[in-house]
Amino acid sequence: MALHRMGPHRMELGREVLDQQVIDAHDRQIGRVDGIALELRPGKPARVAYVVVGGTTLLWRLHRGLAAWVERRLGGEGHPARIPWRQVVKIGLDVKVAVEAEQSPASRWERWIRDHIVSRIPGA
Amino acid sequence: MSKLLEIALGIVTGIGGFLEAGSLATAAQAGAAFGYQLAWALLLGVVCIAFLVEMAGRLAAVSRHTLPDAMRERFGIAFFLVPLVTVALVSFLVLASEVGGVCLALQFASGVSLRWWTIPVVLLLWLFLWKGTFGLVEKGASLLGLVTLAFVVGAVRLHPDPGKLAAGLLPSLPHQDPASYWFMAVSIVGASVSPYLFYFYSAGAIEDEWDEDYIPINRIIAGLGMTFGGGVAVAVLVCAALVLHPAGIQVDRYEQIPLLLASPLGRAGFWLFVASLGVACFGAALEIALQLAYLAAQGFGWRWGENLRPREASRFALVYTVALPLAGLLIATGIDPLKLTVFSMALTALSLPVTVVPLLVLMNDPDYLRERTNGWISNTAVLAVSVVACIVALVAIPLELFGS
Repeated sequence: MALHRMGPHRMELGREVLDQQVIDAHDRQIGRVDGIALELRPGKPARVAYVVVGGTTLLWRLHRGLAAWVERRLGGEGHPARIPWRQVVKIGLDVKVAVEAEQSPASRWERWIRDHIVSRIPGA
Repeated sequence: MSKLLEIALGIVTGIGGFLEAGSLATAAQAGAAFGYQLAWALLLGVVCIAFLVEMAGRLAAVSRHTLPDAMRERFGIAFFLVPLVTVALVSFLVLASEVGGVCLALQFASGVSLRWWTIPVVLLLWLFLWKGTFGLVEKGASLLGLVTLAFVVGAVRLHPDPGKLAAGLLPSLPHQDPASYWFMAVSIVGASVSPYLFYFYSAGAIEDEWDEDYIPINRIIAGLGMTFGGGVAVAVLVCAALVLHPAGIQVDRYEQIPLLLASPLGRAGFWLFVASLGVACFGAALEIALQLAYLAAQGFGWRWGENLRPREASRFALVYTVALPLAGLLIATGIDPLKLTVFSMALTALSLPVTVVPLLVLMNDPDYLRERTNGWISNTAVLAVSVVACIVALVAIPLELFGS
């Protein structure tokens, strides 16, 4: 359902959002919802700030020590894409975001592998 | 495309695609060592894979999710990693077995040792995936795979005794060598219930854009395709039981295996055997390499699709581009492809609960299947076969490895 058309609604983030397929504005797969970040506001209810895609996010859910080590090694390359909640346009079969895959840091590895490996092989 | 044509093509795909290194090697080995006595294991495996393939297709048609896709979002990454790694590992070993099978066919045809064939074979496989489309891989490989029907012709020409064959369909205790009997039994089940088959099928249903209208078609394709496909494996077992068993020939004597068809069909039989082995393993290798790429891409949410150009789905294309040479490397080290194949099939049987139970959980979840969830028969049949196969494998594999 398109989020802006929904009335008051309760959504279980762990069941309906986390680990879902993320697609960009042109329905291209760009990753999965590897994490969800809340914004904690003093005196007000917390709210969902962004969904997190790629980088070391998954590793943090599996093994903290390994994730910290990889993050130190990779530096900026290990940073995930943070997609603000207001850019999440639809949650249905997939989580659709108003983002261009080509520009998003979520597709960093997809682009790097395309430009440095796959494109150099004839017929790609 | 008309529904009837689609059903026919689906069944042909099942028949032409069923036989591969694993089912060929295990059926031949079982027939050579025990005659018809292990036919029941084949029957069990075929029934189980027909159920599993139907489930994977129904899941895709109703929920529009491939299997890895649904598993990842239903169970979360930590749990999903267990079937992911298991399926990837088992599939990789089976991939290497198929590459070995193609190379062995070329060795039979040319006399040049199979190790020298790994590089051209891997390159050709890769080229098919790099340039080909999903239809080419799925339909093309299976249509060529119809050459394996030569085993059915061979089996009929050998005039098997239907009564004795039917008796083999009932499980019985071995008269001699129980360790090897049970090891072969689980290898046969593992060969039929290879997870790559139903993982690949679920990705295929999405590639072909199935919806709920496809549920009856899916049931027919899965049921008949797998049953007739299993019939080809039964034919291999019959050929081995009637050609190799009376002569006391074990399958590990490579130069003797083509006798399977050369004995009933003469000189043409030799070449039909070589073509069957080569084509069946080549088609299966294509599907497994592709399935490894599907598995990773769908599990991690990368862009995927065999109809996209490699540059449009770079991580997806990279997976098979890396997996194929690695599988070739395993064969080039001189590992015995037959031993590798049979061992991979036993490992597959051992891992069945890990690959099958998450699918069963999904198939009973109305969030994914709505009112199309599993009935108790399919649940019980699949669960029973996987758990029993796993337990028997747990005992039989160490016995086979370390001798009794």
